[in-house]
Amino acid sequence: MALDYDRKDCFIVEGKLALPYSYFAGRVGSTFITTLRDKKKIMGVKCPVCNKVYLPPRQTCERDLTDIRDNWVEVQPSGEVVNFTVVRYDDKHLPKKAPFVMALIKLDGADTPIVHILDGIAPEEVKIGMKVEAVFSSSPTNTILDISHFAPKKPEKAFVSERKPSGAKGEEPVISEEEKLLKERRKAMSKKVIITAALAGAATMKNQTPSVPYTPQEFAEEAYKCYKAGAAMVHVHAREDNGMPTHDHKRIKDTHDAIKEKCPDIIVNLSSAVGMGKTAEQRISQIVYVKPEMASLNTNTMNFSIIDRKTGKIFIDFVFENTFTMLQDFGKAMEENGVKPEVEVYDLGGLDNWLLISKQGFFTKPYNFNFVWGVAGGMSFRPDMFMVLKNALPEDSNFTTCGVGIEQFPAITMSCLVGGHMRVGLEDNIRVPNGELAKGSYEQVEWAVRIAESLGREPATPDEAREIMGLRKR
Amino acid sequence: MAHKKNRNVAIIGVGQTKHSSHREDVNQPEMIHEAVSAALKDANLSIKDIDCIVHGNMELFEMIHQPDLWHVLGTGAYGKDSIRITTGGTVGTTLACASDNLVASGMYDIVMAIGFEKLQEGHTTGGITNMADPLWFRNLQTGALTGSTAYDVIQEFGEDRAKRAAMMYRIVMDKHACLNPNAHRAFGLDFDQVETLMNTSPQLVGELRLIHMCSQSDGACAVIFACEKKAKELSKKPVWIRDHITIHREETFNIFGYHKDFPVLKTHKFAAEQLFKRNDIKNPLEYFDVFEMYDPAAWWGLDWLRDFFFLKGDEHLRLVENKEIMIGGSMPINPSGGVIATNPIGATALLRVAEAALQVRGDAGAHQIPKEVKHALASGFGGTMWTVLMMLEKELSW
Repeated sequence: MALDYDRKDCFIVEGKLALPYSYFAGRVGSTFITTLRDKKKIMGVKCPVCNKVYLPPRQTCERDLTDIRDNWVEVQPSGEVVNFTVVRYDDKHLPKKAPFVMALIKLDGADTPIVHILDGIAPEEVKIGMKVEAVFSSSPTNTILDISHFAPKKPEKAFVSERKPSGAKGEEPVISEEEKLLKERRKAMSKKVIITAALAGAATMKNQTPSVPYTPQEFAEEAYKCYKAGAAMVHVHAREDNGMPTHDHKRIKDTHDAIKEKCPDIIVNLSSAVGMGKTAEQRISQIVYVKPEMASLNTNTMNFSIIDRKTGKIFIDFVFENTFTMLQDFGKAMEENGVKPEVEVYDLGGLDNWLLISKQGFFTKPYNFNFVWGVAGGMSFRPDMFMVLKNALPEDSNFTTCGVGIEQFPAITMSCLVGGHMRVGLEDNIRVPNGELAKGSYEQVEWAVRIAESLGREPATPDEAREIMGLRKR
Repeated sequence: MAHKKNRNVAIIGVGQTKHSSHREDVNQPEMIHEAVSAALKDANLSIKDIDCIVHGNMELFEMIHQPDLWHVLGTGAYGKDSIRITTGGTVGTTLACASDNLVASGMYDIVMAIGFEKLQEGHTTGGITNMADPLWFRNLQTGALTGSTAYDVIQEFGEDRAKRAAMMYRIVMDKHACLNPNAHRAFGLDFDQVETLMNTSPQLVGELRLIHMCSQSDGACAVIFACEKKAKELSKKPVWIRDHITIHREETFNIFGYHKDFPVLKTHKFAAEQLFKRNDIKNPLEYFDVFEMYDPAAWWGLDWLRDFFFLKGDEHLRLVENKEIMIGGSMPINPSGGVIATNPIGATALLRVAEAALQVRGDAGAHQIPKEVKHALASGFGGTMWTVLMMLEKELSW
C-alpha cells in the first residue's frame, strides 16, 4: 500500500520504553527445561484419565483438569512434522536468517506437537509427515533452544561402537516386555554374522590410501576402530615401516601383540601368504612362531597378477604357488599348533583341492572357508558361482567371502544374505560403496554392519565368532 | 426497583489462591488453576458443569498478550465458550457483572469468572503507560501513586487528626489481614504504633506513605455464578446478586489541576447514588452489614467511605476513629484485609465480591463478622477512574 496520503503538518511525539519483566516457568516447566538442559531428555506428562501425553508438559490436563504434574514420561527426540511454515523475511527477533522453516513437530510418544526450527533441509523439500529428529545445542540456553533445531531423521545406524567385551556382564538396560519379545523374535530369525577386517594385505600402499597401516601401532589403532565398529576378527599381513610385506617373525609378532594389547577381545587372523616371492618356509614358520587363533590356508597354485581392469594390460605377472604338499604341510602345522585354518577358495578347483587333502583327516571341524572374488587369476564374482561353492561345502562348514575392488560389497551382501559371513578391509578395496575413499577399514565395517542390519542379522562378538568357527581363545 | 433482570443469579462457589509477592513455583495457568479447583470444590462441581469461562486481568501487566488462550491449560476453558475482559483495576468486578449478565440473559446456566495477576512477572508501567498522552503533559502514567487525597483530608480536618485517622484505617486493615490466611501482607500492627508509623514510614508522595499503600501481589480468584434454578438445586447457601452498576465519566479523564467542586474521584458517589436510588435504599450505612471496598491506599479508603455512604462532615472519620469499621463494629470494612493487604490487580476486585459472598454465607472463617450478614456491598475501582458496585443478598427478598 502506498503511503501517499498527505502528512503535511502532522505532529508526532517519539517515545521509547524499557520494559523489564520476569517469567516464572513454574515447577513443571522448570523440571522440563532443566532435564532438557542437563540430561538431554525430552519429558512430557501423561494424563491417566484420557491417556494423552502432553508436550510441553503441564500441571493439569486441560481436558479433565486431572493433576498430572508428577506423571512424567520420556518422549523420543524424534518425531514427525504435522505442519510447518516457511519464514521468508529477515527480522531482528527471528532465530535464524530467512528463509527457514518453523514446524509443528509431534515427537514419538507425545500426543501434542511443539513448534521448533526445522533445519538441514531446503524449505521446498519439507513434507507433512516427514520424520525428523532433535539436534541438541552444544551449550545451554535455558530455553527450548537447548534443542538447537530439528533435522530430517537419518536412517537408523546400528549401534555397535560401545559394545562390551565378550563375556562381560554389565548393567542390563531396562527394556519393556514388548521390546524383549520383539528382540527374541528377531534373534530367532537371525544368525550372527562374523565381520572380518583385512587391514592391509600385501599390496595396498599408503600412496593409494593413507589409512593403510604399516607399523604395529597403526595396526593396533586400526584394529581397535574396526572392533568398535563391529568387526570380530582382523586379517593381518605385517608390514615394514616402508610398507613392504614382511616375513620377519619379530615384526609379525609385534604387530600381532600390539593388536591384542590394544584390543584383547578381537581375533587375529594371520596370512600364510605373507607377500610376493616368499618361500614356503618363510610363509609357515611365522604362523608356528606367533600361533595366532586363525590363519589363511591357500588351496591352489594360480596366477596372482596386477592387470589393468579397463584395458587388460598386464602390470605385474606373478604365480602364487600353493602346491598340494604346501596345502597339506601348512594345514598340518596349523592344526598341530592350534591355529584354525581359514581355507581360501579362489575358484571351485581350489575347494576340490582341499576336499581331496582333507581325506587325510587332519582338519578339525568346523571347517571355515573364505570365497575370494576378483583376483586377477581367480574368478570374478557371480551369484550363481557363489551358490555352487556354497553347495559344494562339506557338513559343519562356515563360509565367509571377500571381493577385490568393486566386487567387495556385492559379494559380502550375497554371503550375508545366504547365511555366510563377511570380510571387508583395505586389503581388498580402498573405497566405500559411494565411491569415496574409505576413512579406514573400519568405515567398510560400518557399511557391512548396515548390510547385516538390513538383512536382519546381528554382528557377532569375537566370542560368538570363536564359538561359531571353533577357535581357541588366546 | 432494581434494574430489570431476565432471571435471578447467585454465586454458588468461590475460590482463591494464597496471595503472595512471588509465586516462582507455578506459572500463570498453574496459579490460576489453584483458584479454579478451589472454586469447583467449594461449589461441589466438576469442570464439566461449567458452561462458560470469563477471564480477566490488567491489560499487559504480565507482558503476555491474549493470556486467556495460554491459560486454557489451567482454566478448564477447553472446548467451552470463553470471554476475556480487561477493564483495568475494575476488571474483577466487571468479570462479576459480566458473568451475572451472561447467566441472567439465559445464555448460560453456570459461568465461572476468573481474575488473576502475577505482578512479579511483569512491569506495570508497560501496561499502564498506554494511558499516556504526551502532547498534553502526560508523558507516562506510572501507576496509582498520588498524594492529593491526603492533602485534601489534611486541609479539611487538620494535619494531626487526618494523619491519625488514615493510620487507624491502615492498622484496622492489617488486623483484619492477620485473620485471613490467604492475605498477602499481614504485619501484626497495633494501634499504639499510629504515631510512630505516621512519622517514620517512608513518604511516597506527600503524606502518602509506604505503609498506606497497597501491595503488589501474585494471586487468582474464581467465582461461580448460576441461574436461580441451578443455584437452588446445587447450593445450600446461594448468594444472590441483587444489582450492580458501573460508572465512568468523561470529565474524570481531565485531571489537570484540581477544583473542589469537580473532584477527580466523583464516580464513587455517582455510582452509589444511582444504585441505591433504584434499589430504594435510603441509608446504606444502616442497610448493609459489611462492605468489601476496593481501597488502594489508606487515605482513599478513609476518604471514600463518605462517598459510598453519603456521609456528612467528619462522620467517615468518626467511623474509623471509633473502630466501627472493624470486624465487630457497626460497618465492618474489608474483613479480609482489603486491597492494602492483598492486591493481585486483576483478581483484586473479584476478591471483593468473593469475600463479600463468603461473609453472606457465613463461611469467612476467622475473619467472619460476628453478626448475620444479609446485605453485602462490594466495590471495584480503577479503570481509568471507574467505579463498579455490586450488591449481594442472603435472601431473594427484594
